Amino acid sequence: MEPATRTQNPVVTGTSVLGIKYKDGIMLAADTLASYGSLARFRDVERLIKVGNTTIIGASGDISDFQYITHLLEKILIKESNTEDGHQLYARHIHEYLGRLMYGRRSKHNPLWNSMVVGGIRDGEGGTFLGFVDLQGTTYEAPTIATGYGAYIAQPILRKAVEGREDTLTEEEAEKVLEDCMRVLFYRDARSINKIQIAKVNASGISISDPRFLDTEWAFAEGIRGYGATD
Amino acid sequence: MQMYEEQKSSCPVKVPVECRFSPYTDNGGTTLAIAGDDFCVIAGDTRQSEGYSINSRYAPKVYQLSNGSVLATGGMYADGVTLVKMIEQRLEWYRHAHDKQMSSGALAQMLSTILYHKRMFPYYVWNTLGGLDEDGKGAVYSYDPVGSYEKQKWNCSGSAGHLIQPFLDNQIGFTHQKEKAPLTLERVVQVTKDAFTSATERDIYTGDNLEMFLVTQNGIEKTRVELKKD
Amino acid sequence: MLDLSFLPSGRGGAVTDLPDDQDDAQTFAMDAAAFSHPSFVLPSVADPVAWMKHQMSDAAENRIKMAKGTTTLAFKFKDGIIVAVDSRATGGTYIASQSVKKIIEINPYLLGTMAGGAADCSYWERELGRRCRVYELRNKERISVAAASKLLSNMVYAYKGMGLSMGTMVVGWDKTGPALFYVDSDGQRLKGDLFSVGSGSTFAYGVLDSGYHCNLSIEEAIDLGRRSIYHATFRDAASGGSVLIYHVRQDGWQVISRTDVTELHYQYAEEPRPSLL
Repeated sequence: MEPATRTQNPVVTGTSVLGIKYKDGIMLAADTLASYGSLARFRDVERLIKVGNTTIIGASGDISDFQYITHLLEKILIKESNTEDGHQLYARHIHEYLGRLMYGRRSKHNPLWNSMVVGGIRDGEGGTFLGFVDLQGTTYEAPTIATGYGAYIAQPILRKAVEGREDTLTEEEAEKVLEDCMRVLFYRDARSINKIQIAKVNASGISISDPRFLDTEWAFAEGIRGYGATD
Repeated sequence: MQMYEEQKSSCPVKVPVECRFSPYTDNGGTTLAIAGDDFCVIAGDTRQSEGYSINSRYAPKVYQLSNGSVLATGGMYADGVTLVKMIEQRLEWYRHAHDKQMSSGALAQMLSTILYHKRMFPYYVWNTLGGLDEDGKGAVYSYDPVGSYEKQKWNCSGSAGHLIQPFLDNQIGFTHQKEKAPLTLERVVQVTKDAFTSATERDIYTGDNLEMFLVTQNGIEKTRVELKKD
Repeated sequence: MLDLSFLPSGRGGAVTDLPDDQDDAQTFAMDAAAFSHPSFVLPSVADPVAWMKHQMSDAAENRIKMAKGTTTLAFKFKDGIIVAVDSRATGGTYIASQSVKKIIEINPYLLGTMAGGAADCSYWERELGRRCRVYELRNKERISVAAASKLLSNMVYAYKGMGLSMGTMVVGWDKTGPALFYVDSDGQRLKGDLFSVGSGSTFAYGVLDSGYHCNLSIEEAIDLGRRSIYHATFRDAASGGSVLIYHVRQDGWQVISRTDVTELHYQYAEEPRPSLL
């Protein structure tokens, strides 16, 4: 056993990832900023990835750890396809794997410093899946998920829009609420940027949008009182 | 005699002082088990929390095991999941080695040693095991995180354990009372529902859904009741 | 032979390919060794002892706190040994149980008492029971209480400083007659005629010492043990529940009684009190 504690710190980090269920499937959103402490270091890092044909993952936390996880997932996918046994890894399986991976590393006191949202087709039987994994190995499924500051700022908005409406919420409505949330996060989260991506899994497959800029409106800022603003 | 303290919920707010890694987290939740003459009820809420946030309204932490027992876990969810996987693996090995299901009594002792083997890096889990014993009688075993266990007639642990346990002592055990009502399955189910609806009003970590497992000789019935979501 | 020493090695070196670490391996590497007793999972940190200490300290985010509180006693007299204990388990100020069996039946001739960490006591005394059985099979005779208590003492001494908490009395009857040993997790092992262990021990000693005599009858001895525990539960908030009493004789131990302290309270209150003068 190595004597040193391998407890590391996150270095280059991504902020919130949002995920919701909607009528036709799963939708994820994240911005493209990779921060170096308080420095907005890389403005065009894509934190939403495809895993196979049925799963998307969004990651917040340490970017290099996420790149390593991406590599592990690629290895597994190659291994799985080489087997040619007709078996396929769906979102549920990827989520389970990530849960064990993250828990295994936390148990070695050498965590992979990420919170991830996993979305996609549940399994071979169909259905949708939206799950969460973090650096302690905590896992859960929910119709709305938000990491980082999103858990405090976006989650209430998402729950109001989605809970109980998972089977009726249209793609347009889903995309709008995610975009609204990303905008609110951009207004208040100092580690965010107004360049976002949205990923979808639905009957027509996976799609991850190109990075696009949010329309923002700052006039309301004049009217804000409190929070340190002086009149 | 020392027992691990029940989870404290006094100050769950994390102050961002520095990024030192803690392998532990408390996901809250309450679990309960009551043994009758020929049945056992094991229940738990389905809320998963972290700090003041609700992660999920449906993240079950009561597990039906392959030998017919039911295990309720509380504390750190990831440790609970891992523990259940560990137990299921050992139950399967036991079946291969002995060509029979492990008894609830043997499982109870095995769980104790599994927990103690992580004495120096404990599973942050408060377990309650319920089922029927070899004679078909209801059996409840409750544990601390490092494997100290006791066979009981009723138990409630987790974030609202200290709120519900005295209620059970009164309504199930009839402690310090002259009259004792007979312990029917119907009454136990009603007391369980009442306990959780009331605990939901007073404990922020309990709510959303109540999942109950009714174990009888005819099998295991799983039921779900909605709790308040605030 | 090709000199490859220039290549980086281990985690510290440059990564030529991604490290082939254990992330690909099974989470549970179970093999026969996993069944050997005792083996413990250690946290993979530089100093597991300090880490565990931190987890149990106020500073820890999710504190694994231990609370203290118990009263146990055992004493020798002409007709064997009386063992008496309370039955309360506490976690902080919360009473986790009022019905704990703090007398552990190691085998039909050996008893152990429980004070300190409940899991520590029950695990190690169970392990002691196993080793005593192995001793019997190897030597075709029962282990002495002295040897048994030393087995226990040596087992826990191997983990000294790692946070075990155990204060126990090993009691039994062997070919030397009745025997009583105190063993704790610091590695201390004492032979004696009378011990009391736990937060309520001082109160128990007060009653016990004032009434103790080697020539006590069985009934008197049982009553003395019971009174001592009762008075400890009365004055020590961390002790309570009921009083459990065992009697160790040549033919092994016997359960004498289990009495709720409330019952004893009113029973003793009825008795005439001696004058203070």
